[in-house]
Parts: sequence; structure tokens; C-alpha cells
Amino acid sequence: MVSWIIAKPFLAAALACAAGAAVLALWFLVRKPTLTRATKLVLLAAIGVLPLVTAGTGNVAGYEATKARRFCGSCHVMTPYKSDSEDLHSTTLAARHARNALFGDENCYACHADYGMFGTVVTKIGGMRHVYEYTFHYRNMSLEEAREKIHIRKPFQNATCMHCHSTEGPSWNAIKDHASILDRVRAGTVSCASEGCHGPAHPFSKPPGKPPGKPPATLESAR
Amino acid sequence: MKVPNIPAMTALRISAVLTLVGLALMVWSMLEPTPLPVMLAMTVGQGIGCMAFGLYLYVVIRDIRRARRAPSLESPESPQASDTP
Repeated sequence: MVSWIIAKPFLAAALACAAGAAVLALWFLVRKPTLTRATKLVLLAAIGVLPLVTAGTGNVAGYEATKARRFCGSCHVMTPYKSDSEDLHSTTLAARHARNALFGDENCYACHADYGMFGTVVTKIGGMRHVYEYTFHYRNMSLEEAREKIHIRKPFQNATCMHCHSTEGPSWNAIKDHASILDRVRAGTVSCASEGCHGPAHPFSKPPGKPPGKPPATLESAR
Repeated sequence: MKVPNIPAMTALRISAVLTLVGLALMVWSMLEPTPLPVMLAMTVGQGIGCMAFGLYLYVVIRDIRRARRAPSLESPESPQASDTP
């Protein structure tokens, strides 16, 4: 219990405040006390202060929850991506990143987030777009059909990889293939996820013969 | 626009019920963090919570204004006021 609170302090605070507010609100509804100044103060806590703290800390907990792979995988069309990440025998880029102890549970977010100045906001706006697309286009689609149609909106940026793999480290530069195309990697003209380099992070999702990052022509014309 | 004169107790009971509904949505999103509950909590849940708090503030401010207005209405009838030269 204590370790859970330490691990998720915002969630624990939000739940505690919600429970407190609910108890006070129910007391007011059931006992029907006289409307004195004390009652109004109790209601200030029940209707104002505690729900505000619940909303504030709940928002933080909610934003944190949206980073988790469990959240991304809750839409059925993401099941193969989630399963691959959780497969200990998988050698895909996504699965290998999912086994990283530092951010493994949030590997979808770690690789698909925007790391610019307003990166979090841009990422969340992109997430809202995903919810829209899922609700109106992919909700009733079979996995096979979705696998054909789901595509990354923009080619994957090397800057996202370089957020962790800075290209400055001696161990990174010790690899001849890295050193030979260093400028092109930094400029983004050669993709880390291109065939011949590390390949696509979700190779099972790429129909043969289609370069990564390119949507199927049928879908592009439909948008 | 004239605001309907809802009895304070009724307004506060509505406010308490709205608070419980808003809290339920927020707690649902925390216990099951999937897109639908999270989005509902951050939009509908917080909207309901704001409405509840707004209703509470409306009742409290209205009561305070009434309490302030009451002595000023009574003052011409008070003996001290009439006796003052």
C-alpha cells in the first residue's frame, strides 16, 4: 500500500481527495443538516476544494496514464503493436526498446512523442487525432484491414531517436556505419528506421515493397 | 437576464449530486485509464464539477448579499437612526 502510494503519489492524492469529497457530499445529502456557516464550510471542502485537488492531481495522473503502453494498446487496432512490444522473444526495434528498464512501459510514447519546445502539447493534440481516427474510421475494422491501413502520418524523425542516442557518444561513433553517415543522420536525410540501417520499428505492419513511413496509396487518396 | 430564485438548500443538494457525478467520472478515469474514461473525465467530469462549484458559489454569494442588504433595509425603522439629529 505504502509502496503503491510512493509509486503513484498523484493518483493516491486524487483518490484520497475524491473519497473525502464524496463522504462529505453524501453526509450533506443524507443527513440534511441546517444551513449554517459550518455546513457551508464543509460544503466548500466537499464541492470546491477537494474536487479541485482531485481534478488537478487527477489530470496529472491522467496525463501520465496516457503515456503507458497499456493506454495505447487499449484500442484494438494497436493490439499487434502492443503484443510485439511485450513479446520477450521479439527482436523488433519497438520490442527491444520496450525491454529498456528506464522507459519500457512507456515505449510507445518515448518513440512517438514530439520533443520540441511545445512537444507535450503537440503530442497530446496528435493523441486527440488518434482518438478521432479510431472512433470514426478504425473502431469496427478488423485487425487485418487495420494493419493495411494504419500508417505513420509523417516519416519518422531521426530527432526522436537522437533524443536518447545523441550521436555524440564515442560508443555510437565507434560503429563504422554510424560514423560514415553521421552528417546525413543528423540532417535527417538518412532515416535510422530505413531498410539497411535499423529497419522499421514495427516490420510486421509494413506491407512488402512499401517504404516505411509511406501510407498506402488508397488511404492517402481517401484523406 | 433574471436568475431563477432557487432555494439555497435545493441548489446545494443539486450541487452535491453534480459533485458526486463529476467525481465518479474522474475516479473511473483513474481506475481504468483508457481513452474513453480519460477523455470523459477531463471534459464532462470537470465540466460537471465546475457547474457544481459555480452553483455553490452562487448560493453562498447570494446569501452574503442578502445578509448585508438586510440591516440596511431595517435601519430607517431602528430607533437610533430616527433619534439621530
